[in-house]
Amino acid sequence: MTKVLSQLWLCGLLLAVPALAADWKVDPAGSKLEFIATFEKTPVPGVFKEFDARLRFDPDKPAGGSIDVTIKVTSADMSIPDVNKEIRGKDWFDYAAFPQAEFHSADLRRDGKRYVARGTLTLKGAKQPVEVPFTWTAAGDGAVMEGEFTVKRGAFGIGLGEWAAADVIGADVKVKFKVKLRKG
Amino acid sequence: MLRNASDSWGAPAKVFHWVVAALILAQIALGLMAANWRVSPTKIELFFWHKSTGMLILALVGLRILWRLANPTPELPAGMAAWERAAARLGHFLLYALMVALPVTGWIINSASNVPFRIFWLIPLPAIVAPDEPTADLFGLVHGGLFTLLTLVLVAHTGAALRHHFVKRNTVLIRMLPGTWRTP
Repeated sequence: MTKVLSQLWLCGLLLAVPALAADWKVDPAGSKLEFIATFEKTPVPGVFKEFDARLRFDPDKPAGGSIDVTIKVTSADMSIPDVNKEIRGKDWFDYAAFPQAEFHSADLRRDGKRYVARGTLTLKGAKQPVEVPFTWTAAGDGAVMEGEFTVKRGAFGIGLGEWAAADVIGADVKVKFKVKLRKG
Repeated sequence: MLRNASDSWGAPAKVFHWVVAALILAQIALGLMAANWRVSPTKIELFFWHKSTGMLILALVGLRILWRLANPTPELPAGMAAWERAAARLGHFLLYALMVALPVTGWIINSASNVPFRIFWLIPLPAIVAPDEPTADLFGLVHGGLFTLLTLVLVAHTGAALRHHFVKRNTVLIRMLPGTWRTP
């Protein structure tokens, strides 16, 4: 009897310990952050070569987790030399004034087989709420997080003046990411 | 009346001649404007139409060359000097060569510049060379040089046609006009 009681007590103790969400770091080698614009209705892909992220995330219990991403905007590369020169300027990313973009979310939830992070994207000084859906795949010690979402470039003042019109350069920009994470 | 005869051009040959002629004139205007316009959405639009028209010309010229090879070529008028015949042959050969070489060098520039492009928003144009800025710059010069040559040959072609009509008073010009023109 005392044995059973002590076992129950032990079970209770184990249940009372909250599931600890792990902290995750980016492994840059296996990670990619793309943004896909359109010119004349044709997709033109670009990448941010440098970005970093910190996650507190438990795939079994996403609530209470958080994601903090910093993106070095000046590492943007659209692999077209003329375009790369152009996007530095004030009408586009304005490297001089806004070299960094950020995304913060402390609202993570499950959505079927995937997850959604609701948060704020700060880009070119503009803060906008965004919803970032992603999948989570455990891989050995680490994990891979993948997803895509669409933002309106106009909401961030990307493409000012005559470039604001969306017929030549589309209004929507798709952001696509595949991030390799390890605990740490 | 569809096929060429020894003294007359059939309807398809005439349609090819005048449609391609009109497209080349439009293409020259688009190309000059696109190259010289300041960086703006209009410049992108001008290049879009220049590239689309160029690929249309290339396709039409491909069909035109096949049609010409599958048909008799109307003879040059009797009484032309040997140098005139040689000049006519050289001029026509150069026109065909340039009608192919200009779109192809443009295609190389577009590929080397790594600009994704869909012809008239519809057909994705595959790259024919790897992305490389020096290649793009080199073929930019070649494209411009060939354009200068085309302008000279077109002036000679038009001048020769007018000379046949007004000075030599033969049927060379009128037999390329719409309608049925037979050597009397």
